[in-house]
Amino acid sequence: MRLLMIGAAAAFICAMICASLATADTARNLEEGERLFHARCGYCHLDGGTGTFMLGRRLGKDKALLEKRTDLNPDFIRHVVRAGIGSMPPHNRVELPDSELDLIAIYLSRPTSARESRP
Amino acid sequence: MALVLPPNVSAKSFQQALDAFAGVVGREWVLATEEDRHTYLDAFSIGDADDHVPSAAVGPKSVEEVQAIVRIANEHKIPLWPISRGKNLGYGGSAPRMSGTVVLDLGRMNRILEVNERFGYCLLEPGVGFFDLFNYLRDNRIPLWMSVPGNAWGSVVGNALERGYGYTPYGDNTGHICGMEVVLPNGEIVRTGTGAMSNSPCWQLFKYGYGPSWDQVFVQSNFGIVTKVGLWLMPEPESTMGLSMQLSNPEDVGWAVEALAPLRLTGVIQQSPSIGNSLRVAAVQSQRSEWYKGDGPMPESVLREVLQKFNLGWWGVNLRLYGYDEVNEVNARVIKNAFAKYTKQEFAISKWHRGDPVADSGAGIPSVAALQVVNWRGGRGGHVGFSPVLPATSEHVLKQFRSTRKRYEEIGMDYYGSFTLFERYVTNINMMIYDQDDAAITAKVRALFKVLVDDAAREGYSEYRTHLSYMDEVAHTFNFNNHSLLRLNETVKDALDPNGILAPGKQGIWPKALRGRKV
Repeated sequence: MRLLMIGAAAAFICAMICASLATADTARNLEEGERLFHARCGYCHLDGGTGTFMLGRRLGKDKALLEKRTDLNPDFIRHVVRAGIGSMPPHNRVELPDSELDLIAIYLSRPTSARESRP
Repeated sequence: MALVLPPNVSAKSFQQALDAFAGVVGREWVLATEEDRHTYLDAFSIGDADDHVPSAAVGPKSVEEVQAIVRIANEHKIPLWPISRGKNLGYGGSAPRMSGTVVLDLGRMNRILEVNERFGYCLLEPGVGFFDLFNYLRDNRIPLWMSVPGNAWGSVVGNALERGYGYTPYGDNTGHICGMEVVLPNGEIVRTGTGAMSNSPCWQLFKYGYGPSWDQVFVQSNFGIVTKVGLWLMPEPESTMGLSMQLSNPEDVGWAVEALAPLRLTGVIQQSPSIGNSLRVAAVQSQRSEWYKGDGPMPESVLREVLQKFNLGWWGVNLRLYGYDEVNEVNARVIKNAFAKYTKQEFAISKWHRGDPVADSGAGIPSVAALQVVNWRGGRGGHVGFSPVLPATSEHVLKQFRSTRKRYEEIGMDYYGSFTLFERYVTNINMMIYDQDDAAITAKVRALFKVLVDDAAREGYSEYRTHLSYMDEVAHTFNFNNHSLLRLNETVKDALDPNGILAPGKQGIWPKALRGRKV
């Protein structure tokens, strides 16, 4: 019984550590995704950018700034970046490797909880 | 999109070449899926995307990898289309001239190798973008200014190699190249100018070297793969002064050129003043359907409404003085006096002094805002530019303006043009904007382009740069002595690139095996 309790405690501690590691990973991914979004997409998609302007005209001002959108999912983002959409040309894997696109997609589709915890 | 193989290359040999490329750069950087091929098509195609389909792309990280790829390409007779960042938008983007060509994407070679503040130069790899260099200069507080084109998404090196222009006194980008490193079609590396000495401290200082000077031979050409470029940067001036004026009538462009040309020739104005029609501004700030829904060109009455809304004239003249306060003040007086002979209007003046926010300075600040114009007709927007060079006189400019505008209207499009003055010549950029999925409008664009090339050739005007689909036509207009310049280019091509692997058809220069064939 005692052994069982020790085992359960160890499992609990391990789960906590894993969860906290996963949280740390997620936070790092979001941070890196944000940095990459600004570096690779920011020319057009930050405030005042040509992409923001075009999206505002086509979809309305509430959908113009990609960072503020809550209706984007990773697969859609990956598809749009590789296929292009409207006046946005496709982006190849040299200018934006899959590993970087994945992080940008994670960042833009982050859940509300991740948005609230960040300033 | 089906795979198009290079001419005379079997599927087996092609695959062997891709495997060999992967051995050099790693499998990750051989881009050969259907999606990959799609990403290298001309992003602004004029209904001609099928004529310029790449078979794959390969992305080296170093000059040694470029050499290894070139050797493999020779072995398997695989044509390569080098791009720096592939943003030659309006001229074919990242797509190759000939379908089946493998794009050699140099975007991963993106090191800023040197910035020299004392002498005002940088040494760059092809993958360095305008934003990258701008951020580097700003973050390191280096007081050197860049020359930046209207759309600054692309590569600094790539733009200079395609003879792009900026708006500062260093605006002739190709003219400010000083020293290159080039991989020849046989895989050998050369350095031009004094870079050919192993210990020269002057590679980025003295353009010519000794004997024939090669830099410009590798510009807009298919004789080598440029892997490093020295480029002069402008020392930050003490102050700048912008002068702008709106001109009310279409014919005013004539006297404006007459007033400006002597000032540009004598160096009173050291950058290149532009005179652009106001549709350029309207297309950034609005869409055509907000003003007019008809198929033909917007009637003059509608255009006047647009101009009134944005408080614009038919043309906008913009120029800027760079230098010392006192000198700029004197030069501004000379310019005002020159204009006073033709108009009672005053210039709108803006002044910047070192230490003021750089946004208002007239420095080369990268932006992609100009790309907004492709939304003029909505849909999947695109643009293409027809860009002849004329003598800097009102006679030539007015004649070209009237003739081009008439052609736009005959074919049913909105005239969209600008004239930029250099010391002795004017570049005349004529933009055509379209929805790529509207077959009727892209057909009009192709027809208009062809007519404009023919019209210009009759007047003896060449283009300084053109879209992939018109490279042969424009090369053909250089017809002195039964096209002896083209024969010279072909002789050099065959000597340097006997297997014809490098950018077949670029600027109308085809390798022997493909010459005269429709590929």
